[in-house]
Amino acid sequence: MIRLFQAHMSDETVLAVDDLSVTLDGDPVLRNISFTLKQGEAFAVIGPNGAGKTVLFRALLGLLSHTGQVHWRPDAKIGYVPQRFSVDRSAPISTMEFFLLQSPNFWRPAAAFTSQLDQELKLMGLDRAVLRKGLGELSGGETQRVLIASALLQKPSVLLLDEPTAAVDAGFEDTVYALLHRVQIDRGTALLLISHDLSVVYRYAQRVLCLNKSVVCQGPPVEALNPQALATLYGEASFYHHEHGPAH
Amino acid sequence: MPASPHTSFWIALLVGIASGSVGPFILLRRMALVGDALSHVALPGIALALIYRFDPFYGVIAFLIAAAFLVFWLEGRSRVPPDALVGLLFTASLAIGILMLPNADVIESLFGAFPTLSLPLLLAILLTAVLLSALCFFLAKRFLFLIVSPDLARVHGLGRGYDLALLLIFAMIVALGIKLVGTLLMGALTIIPASIAKNLAQSMRRYVILSAIFGGAISVVGVWLAESFRFLPGPAIVLLGVGLFVLSLPFARRGTA
Repeated sequence: MIRLFQAHMSDETVLAVDDLSVTLDGDPVLRNISFTLKQGEAFAVIGPNGAGKTVLFRALLGLLSHTGQVHWRPDAKIGYVPQRFSVDRSAPISTMEFFLLQSPNFWRPAAAFTSQLDQELKLMGLDRAVLRKGLGELSGGETQRVLIASALLQKPSVLLLDEPTAAVDAGFEDTVYALLHRVQIDRGTALLLISHDLSVVYRYAQRVLCLNKSVVCQGPPVEALNPQALATLYGEASFYHHEHGPAH
Repeated sequence: MPASPHTSFWIALLVGIASGSVGPFILLRRMALVGDALSHVALPGIALALIYRFDPFYGVIAFLIAAAFLVFWLEGRSRVPPDALVGLLFTASLAIGILMLPNADVIESLFGAFPTLSLPLLLAILLTAVLLSALCFFLAKRFLFLIVSPDLARVHGLGRGYDLALLLIFAMIVALGIKLVGTLLMGALTIIPASIAKNLAQSMRRYVILSAIFGGAISVVGVWLAESFRFLPGPAIVLLGVGLFVLSLPFARRGTA
């Protein structure tokens, strides 16, 4: 697999993480994580279930207490795309109202807000009709694109995406990543994304961090994702291990 | 001072609207049971006021605000709302309140009565009800944000202060209505209009407006029924609301997962 896209990158660091550790209820969940994110790059975080990927995001966003340093560039605007809504499906909340959470005026939005919303809907390939739907009526793919469009309304310089295709139908994953890639290229937005899908990482990420409570590997995907690193990351029984034999 | 029908109607209208305005947020936060139990805490406050001869309203408001802080503190200790603990604690306070209350005042305290109030206190109650309703509409976006995605809301700088604000607004609205509707039933008055409106509304903005309208309408009609047929106002209001809720059920949207 080769990288199909070569995004423009600058050396300007937008996020520097140094020796980050998180302990939850006495259990060390993340240990000594260090990496940097540069403006305009796509950076993937991969790892097995329970590796601490979402915990890492929550720590970066200041939602969890941690030790070590998390330095955001002072002018960085952070957009966050969670996996799903927390509200139950029967709640009478329209999609328009979810977008209005980003508007200064919830009850009577300004024209400027509505026109920017139209722009983001178009970018995400969403029809205006989606605005009248209830949040609970959206399909997995629509939910994901609504969440991304909402994050884009803030014109973020960094977008954090927690498995942006977890709830999306199989054939639609590529569309979501292609849309994200357009945002990265057109707007110079840095993407920090958690992904399960190695092919996505190869295609869209300039760098990858393999995580299993601590950093297993880090670097450009073609270099970092070597058989030994993948075996360590996903366990001794992995396909790569058998193919190449024991590394130690 | 005799109980004036105008007093009851004005309290019913404005406190009913306030109850309806806060209800949707309590319901969507899945705090309906906690909210209902919270109103029981008012009873020891009433009992103390009667024993030490000050206006029960002040006893009620002090106990309810203390209870709101307690719920807030308990929620912060655990990720799961501590329903069982709150239920036990508040039911215990109901029991203590009953033991302390003079027998003559038990029914009225539990189920409400047509209140006799001094004009300044009546005006203070009405004005506070209007302010609390306005505050619900003003803070609607922030409350909703914390309901739809707490993490996203916190990234946008909305802290736990808004959770406390919601609890305090709720506690104060319960305090305002407790004389008319009673400690056992006042919690229900905040939940019922929101439950009816939830079945009928397609959007959050309509949900809050409809709930406020139902809150005011149910309370006023309930008071009118109670006066006409010599019922206690609390049960009349709550039963009318429950009846409307049953009628609204066929309109409920699917999907409660």
